[in-house]
Amino acid sequence: MGGACSRKRGEVNEESVQRGAAAKYFKTGSSKWLNTSFRLGAKNSQGIDKCPSLIELCVHKICKDIDKFIEKYRTFSMLPRDISQLIFIELVNSHCLNETSLEAFRDCALEDILLGEYPGVNDSWMDVIASQVLSLLAVDLSGSDITDCGLLHLEDCINLQNLTFNYCDHLSDLGLEHISGFSNLTSLSFKKNNAITAQGMSAFAHLPNLLRLDLERCSKIHGGLVHLSGLTKLESLNVRCCNCITDTDMKPLSGLSNLKELQISCSKVTDQGVAYLKGLSNLVLLNMEGSPVTAACLGSISGLVALSYLNLSRCNISDDGCEKISGLVNLKVLNLGFNNITDACLVNLKGLTNLESLNLDSCRIGDEGMTNLAGLVRLKCLELSDTEVGNVGLRHFSGLRSLESLNLSFTIVSDGGLRKLCGLTSLKSLNLDSRQITDIGLATLTSLTSLTHLDLFGCRITDFGTTCLRYFKNLQSLEVCGGGLTDAGVKNIKDLTSLIHLNLSQNTNLTDKSMEMISDSKAGSGSGYVGTNDPDPESLTNLASLNISNSRITNSGLRYIKPLKNLRSLTLESCGVTANEMKKLQATALPNLLSFRPE
Amino acid sequence: MTKEEMVTLISAEGFEFVIDKKAAMVSQTIRNMLTSPGSFAESREGKVTFPEISTTILEKICQYFYWSLQYASGKETEFHIEPELTLELMMAANYLHT
Repeated sequence: MGGACSRKRGEVNEESVQRGAAAKYFKTGSSKWLNTSFRLGAKNSQGIDKCPSLIELCVHKICKDIDKFIEKYRTFSMLPRDISQLIFIELVNSHCLNETSLEAFRDCALEDILLGEYPGVNDSWMDVIASQVLSLLAVDLSGSDITDCGLLHLEDCINLQNLTFNYCDHLSDLGLEHISGFSNLTSLSFKKNNAITAQGMSAFAHLPNLLRLDLERCSKIHGGLVHLSGLTKLESLNVRCCNCITDTDMKPLSGLSNLKELQISCSKVTDQGVAYLKGLSNLVLLNMEGSPVTAACLGSISGLVALSYLNLSRCNISDDGCEKISGLVNLKVLNLGFNNITDACLVNLKGLTNLESLNLDSCRIGDEGMTNLAGLVRLKCLELSDTEVGNVGLRHFSGLRSLESLNLSFTIVSDGGLRKLCGLTSLKSLNLDSRQITDIGLATLTSLTSLTHLDLFGCRITDFGTTCLRYFKNLQSLEVCGGGLTDAGVKNIKDLTSLIHLNLSQNTNLTDKSMEMISDSKAGSGSGYVGTNDPDPESLTNLASLNISNSRITNSGLRYIKPLKNLRSLTLESCGVTANEMKKLQATALPNLLSFRPE
Repeated sequence: MTKEEMVTLISAEGFEFVIDKKAAMVSQTIRNMLTSPGSFAESREGKVTFPEISTTILEKICQYFYWSLQYASGKETEFHIEPELTLELMMAANYLHT
């Protein structure tokens, strides 16, 4: 029987390089980190489970009873490759693969052995992995205890295309020697290896088909990039956070004209080093975050017309020389955050009308510079945190109708300016964290009904202000921590049933009554809130994280939140809540709770 | 139920399963056989023979087709698979793109 199942091949699991500067004001117990680390179940857009295929059901069945199957059949090698591959993947995903079950996959002609971060993987697994010989195309042993000797096993797997050995502390130059025979290799990754040096990297010169090389956080690779000079097919090189990389390391890259992505952030590369990149006319992405380059480096890259992503955050950029940036008309993403630039620099951004994301975090810019952003109508994301931008500057934003994310935290914007934002109805994320914003400002924003994320962390919001929140029915994340809320205000929040992250800490007047309302929308309702019209009123059952630290909540308030079964993080520091009661709550009612404080 | 709405699936041993066309179409392979005009005798006669699928397995597959329709309509029950059938069933499912 022919195989009809298809698996996606050649998909590179690229970490998003477009994340920009990480949130710098990390608030203890804040919900921000949760956005990245939580999956909320495998449901489709309608929230209905997809019907599992018969193959999926069979694979699942085998993995559930894997020991019995192995006892009966010993090997899966009689199965078509596609099927044994599916079983292998499911065993890995369900963490049911061990050295014994691995043995059943000997000589199965598997194509992919992806065991990144899988527990217990070491050299003794290599024999079975290598038995796939010519079929083997991709191997990921990231985070394993594999050694240089272990790599030797793969010698005959000459069709290998993708090799990933991130965080493998026992691999060194000796191991790299064994890689030089894999001339079909297109992707190679050795993140965070502190043993690899220039000497071992000479093996790379034998990999003429290499398209992607990732050596992020390798601390001893200085001088080794010279072995890449002949790899003219190379499209992506990541040496992020390799502090050893200097100007001389850039020289061998000058002829790699197919390079599309280059990441040299947190290196020692200066303007002189950047000068070697002049001829990389296909470069689309250049990340130099945290490197000691100045605006003079823009002279070298201003001819790179393909460039659409440029990260110069935390460099030594100043106004002087910034005019060269105006030539990069195809830029879509530009990060100039944490540089010593003023409004004078922003004049040069005026013509960059393809910009979709602009980060000016903590730059010395103010209202005057904002006039130059008025025409950037494609902007979706604008980061102005910790700048001198005020109410006058916001006037220029009225035409930025595509704006989806705007950060005005720690600016001098006050209530009077927020009215200018009320036409930006595409906004999904808005950060207004600063003390001078109050209920009055919030009341002018009720037209922003698409908002999913609203950060009012330090704003002086009172119960009166919470009545405006009912307009934001799509809110998934809300922070109101200015101290002005009482239980009456929480009553208005409980109908925001889309909420996943809620932070109400620092509101010292909140009591157990708030816990009761968050968990049950029927409690205390019936006074004209939008939510009460819903045919089936829900409570905040989608909540994955809740923080009501520094309040008057006590142990007896904990019982109310038992229905919040999706809760994974609960923070009730400096309340009348004891660690013991929290543990009890987790054990008896909230099994998904991963993180709770006090603990 | 008119004749046009039914199809006949025939196992290796010649055992015939007459089922709803809608159920059979859960299989991408059968769907292709029944819907590509002219190219398959199957699409004219509404009969498909599977010389490599045993009666036991074909019966199980027909059960899955109906289970799948139920599931899609919101009745999410568990589909039981006997351990001794699993490997053979999986190979057939692979062939039927199901």
